Amino acid sequence: MTIASRSLAPTVTRRAQARLGIALVLPVMIVTALFFLFPLGNALYYSMVDFDGLDPNPPFVGFDNFARMFTDPAVWHALGNNLIWIVVGTASPMVIGLLVAMLLWTVRRGGAIYRVIFFLPYVLPGVAIGIVWGWIYDPVNGLLNQFLRAIGLGSLATGWLGEPDLALYAVLLTAIWAGTGFAVVIFLSALRNVDTELVDASRIDGANSAQRLWFIILPQIMPVFLMVLTLTLVGGFSVFDIVFIMTAGGPSNATEVLGTYAYDQAFVLNNIGYGTTLALLITILSVPIAVLLNRLQRRLSLQGTGA
Amino acid sequence: MMTAVIPDQRDLRITQLADPESGNAPRTVVGARRSPAQVALHVVLAGMAIFVLMPVFLVISTTLKTPADVRVNPFGLFTSFSFENIIEAWTVGRFSDYVLNSFLLTVPSTAIVVVVSVMAGYAFARLPFRGRTFLFYLVVLGLLVPFFTFMIPLYFQLRSLGLLDTLPGAILVLASTGTSFGTFFMRAFFSELPQELEQSARMDGASEWQIFSKIMLPLVGSGIGALAVFTFLANWNNFLIPLLYLPSGDFRPLTAGLYMFTSGRSLDIGPLAAGTLITILPIIVLFVVLQRQVTQGFISGAVKG
Repeated sequence: MTIASRSLAPTVTRRAQARLGIALVLPVMIVTALFFLFPLGNALYYSMVDFDGLDPNPPFVGFDNFARMFTDPAVWHALGNNLIWIVVGTASPMVIGLLVAMLLWTVRRGGAIYRVIFFLPYVLPGVAIGIVWGWIYDPVNGLLNQFLRAIGLGSLATGWLGEPDLALYAVLLTAIWAGTGFAVVIFLSALRNVDTELVDASRIDGANSAQRLWFIILPQIMPVFLMVLTLTLVGGFSVFDIVFIMTAGGPSNATEVLGTYAYDQAFVLNNIGYGTTLALLITILSVPIAVLLNRLQRRLSLQGTGA
Repeated sequence: MMTAVIPDQRDLRITQLADPESGNAPRTVVGARRSPAQVALHVVLAGMAIFVLMPVFLVISTTLKTPADVRVNPFGLFTSFSFENIIEAWTVGRFSDYVLNSFLLTVPSTAIVVVVSVMAGYAFARLPFRGRTFLFYLVVLGLLVPFFTFMIPLYFQLRSLGLLDTLPGAILVLASTGTSFGTFFMRAFFSELPQELEQSARMDGASEWQIFSKIMLPLVGSGIGALAVFTFLANWNNFLIPLLYLPSGDFRPLTAGLYMFTSGRSLDIGPLAAGTLITILPIIVLFVVLQRQVTQGFISGAVKG
């Protein structure tokens, strides 16, 4: 429609529009080219060379870095942790977020205050979150162990971030604390567009609350549900800040994820080529999932199911 | 491609729904205001609110302890009171410098993101030219590719440009991480404005620049505000960019400064707590004052995305 009306516009207008259009996109194209496309192209080049950060003409090694990746047990270990992170770190905020949003949806007063409180962790910097949760997990004085002792479960008290079996889940819990508020707020805004007459009608027809949620409410908020799913899933592949700050991949690599491993290879061990290849792996894994879920979400949106 | 709701109407609708009396809630809970179900609901929600706020209480409590109390009982809540930790962090801990650096990095980079994105968003929405779609895809590709992928080559690129460890270099990189989203976001706002506005202004002899700056720009104020707040928060909280690209520490902002503080003097819990409070306080104030814009920005950003 808009294209038709525009092509009917006089040539003078179209020329003026094109001139201003090019002028207005110029700054963003310069920024994109210099700080995104150029380094991205360089990343492909770095993955093909053995670069130590100093040598101006690093030796070309072809696909050696990629081959090395497949035989490096540390990569598979990190990938496994990413997988745990993606499954637990996506499912928990989605489920908890939906439940809390449902509670806030039914509350009659003060909902806005709870919404602000629940969202607050999401806007706090990861460094601050990591430091404070490090104190909560402190083996001696930490609030978690104090709490466990107070309720008579002192035998469970432990150094949460120092135990190889527990550390990843302890960091995950922190990430869930920080990220769930986002899901709550987005779900709540979607719930407010749900057709309540349909919900009431199903209740009269004898649907219990679980059935109402599953058959009436969830289908209506599905596009938003998928959108939050995409964002958290993709975030799960590129997780870095919180792990780096809380454990730096330790104890003894127990919490190593692709992000921290790539960082160590590139900036600690000076294996720039290999580190870049690992970072490329993160993109290669996350982009198809993002595109796929985005398509699904669009299709649902086009069916007019809200959002 | 995206929802066809004019931003202002959307805001209005949310405002109405946020009003507790407008009653969009399912009728399951209709009844007396103090019904047992509602009381139970508030107990559950209040419990969760305390759990969510506990780490923030912990920071405030430890910050306001006396140094002697921190040594014996660092995490007991509100057992003593002094400003010594804040003074120590502000002076000896160099947090006064870090605050200044945070502003020096965040304000210009946010301004660049907003200006560049508004310009590009308008062009991509309303000014057709050859190759426009291709360029738009190049820009939004930045939304799909994690920063991680190209951060290492970018380090060496900045070094060869002489921008490594400089304020302009870090500001430009910070800005570049926000322009993909900003352009995408502003394009959605400009796309929703009615075609007639533009046409009638053109009839009246307005130039294309005047249509953009005098007619269209004032109508996307809410979008610009949301983008500005969103970008400010993201850039203030950014940790990796100052850590990587400002290595010497002369322009270290709060996030990187706080991280360095933990690795250097991990036993100084009191000043560390104070430093953490100094880092999050501006964010909390901004968030509480502008909470509607912030949450709206995140919601419409996510939905449009």
